Amino acid sequence: MVIDFSQPTPVEISEERQLTASRREMVLNMGPQHPSTHGVLRVLLTLDGEVITSCDPNIGYLHRGVEKLGESHRYSQFVPWTDRTDYVAAPSNNLGYVLAVEKLCGIEAPERAQYWRIIMGELARIASHLVWLGTHALDIGALSISLYCFRERELILDIFEKFCGARLTTNMMEIGGFSRPIPDELPEMVRTFCQVFPQGQQDYEDILSKNPIWLSRTRGVGVIEPDVAISYGLTGACLRGSGVNYDVRKAQPYLLYDRLDFEVPLGSHGDVFDRYLVRMEEMRQSIKIIEQCIDQVPTDGDLMLRNSTYTIPPHDTVLTTAEDMQRHFIWVIKGFSPPKGEVYMSIEHSKGELGYYIVSDGSPMPYRLRVRTPDFVNLQSLPYMAQGAMLADVVAMIGTIDIVLGSVDR
Amino acid sequence: MSEEQAQLPARPALTAESWATGYWGPTDPELHPAVYAVRERFPDAFVDAISFRDEMTIRVERARLREVIAFLRDHPDQRYNLLTDVTAVDMVRLRDAPRFDIVVQLYSIPNRVRLRIKAGVDDGETVPSLVPIHAAANWMEREVYDMFGIVFEDHPDLRRILLADDWDEGHPLRKDYPLRGFREYVQPGFTKPAPRIRSRLRRPQ
Repeated sequence: MVIDFSQPTPVEISEERQLTASRREMVLNMGPQHPSTHGVLRVLLTLDGEVITSCDPNIGYLHRGVEKLGESHRYSQFVPWTDRTDYVAAPSNNLGYVLAVEKLCGIEAPERAQYWRIIMGELARIASHLVWLGTHALDIGALSISLYCFRERELILDIFEKFCGARLTTNMMEIGGFSRPIPDELPEMVRTFCQVFPQGQQDYEDILSKNPIWLSRTRGVGVIEPDVAISYGLTGACLRGSGVNYDVRKAQPYLLYDRLDFEVPLGSHGDVFDRYLVRMEEMRQSIKIIEQCIDQVPTDGDLMLRNSTYTIPPHDTVLTTAEDMQRHFIWVIKGFSPPKGEVYMSIEHSKGELGYYIVSDGSPMPYRLRVRTPDFVNLQSLPYMAQGAMLADVVAMIGTIDIVLGSVDR
Repeated sequence: MSEEQAQLPARPALTAESWATGYWGPTDPELHPAVYAVRERFPDAFVDAISFRDEMTIRVERARLREVIAFLRDHPDQRYNLLTDVTAVDMVRLRDAPRFDIVVQLYSIPNRVRLRIKAGVDDGETVPSLVPIHAAANWMEREVYDMFGIVFEDHPDLRRILLADDWDEGHPLRKDYPLRGFREYVQPGFTKPAPRIRSRLRRPQ
């Protein structure tokens, strides 16, 4: 295939998306303090009547320079910063970062810690999807669903609080495993949640799935074709809603996902309603994963890798042995120095593929730390979806991408 | 141990060497099909290929970057169709020239393989934009321009994205940009700016 690069290829606009010449345009500013933009997103909409002719998302209102901060912190000090990027699913962010550092150092967490990491990651996925469903439906007009969603999310936050003391910015994972013990009640709390949650999910589907208003607001709205979705680099439910089978957990298994039995739901039309169905089924599969993990996880064993220069020594041996006390002192004061090199590690976040690219120069701080957040890339498809659509549907399109502006702006 | 647990498929024991998460193809550059294809097709643009932690990185010439990535996307055996990430690294402390590295992460959905393409670019040089072949590159290249000041040719809309449009303090992810910026800010309630603390353990700026 011969490609001519002398001219940049223009984006082709289909026949029905093109507008007539006799138009009177108006620029409408939406955000950054609009409740339906899920944070501080500002969208500049050019309107012809109620039809959108162009859409320009402006981001950066929540930019905190996380990548620059990562270059001036030691590896272990950056873990709390990952909570603040996507604060709705904080354990998943912790997971992506610690896996990247572990890959750079060439270490792996103990088996028990890996099972608990999967459980916490899947609980975070359900919590994130519940926030997405509640706010997305609230934007479109179903007010009561958000109360139901936050009812079940509270149970997940209680589990996080029991484990690490925090509900939102959890900071629960550490390089090499977990630094805290698993409380004795925690497996029972997770089991109770797995029993309670399917009934709650039935409630949401009773409200939404056959609701004629919900169907008319979501069906055929914001359609993304499969090849366009790939070209825009979409990942997560936005890509799978268009019928492209790419889930990092299946395609590039990390942790112990190759041991677990679960399915990847796919959509067929690529509209807002299909992405809703995909996410609902993902929550069901997450419950299935958590149930398998809680049955298989060893009840005792190490949660933190021992005798490694890259991990913090456990508290009991620090107080009893001189070697671990010295190692602990060095680890806290100077940090650790991974080998020179570069790694890219990605996980399946609730919103798509979350990747961390780390360049190490052999010093205790990363030379370059790149956070590839899924919603930053997914938000690029908003102008494609919005062009030629009605003004009222923009709210549904912003909601279906599932953005968290802390993660978009970093 | 319950019966279900006993019937689980055997997994190799966890060792320090089993960190290989994610499939990047053969670790030997001589055996990697993408390295072979790029070297055959672009003998003058291919620089080298290295593997670290099983991840394959191909370094190519800056001017041919778009052709290489379009070739890898359209080649029937390679099909690296998902542009995962475009970013840059300021290499000023690690080598003399060129100053920056453009880093492109690719993924092949049909073959389930990752690949990384790198190209060196010096200050003031331009890079061919990837927007004509991957729409995903639009905002990523805007972010690289915003943070590093690297200009992309043929980019349809190259302006700042995360920082304000009228930001005049340079490009923050360059290594010569101090962590707290160039300007001194007086916080509300204070008469003079907070002192800049230079820790002995911190890397020299």
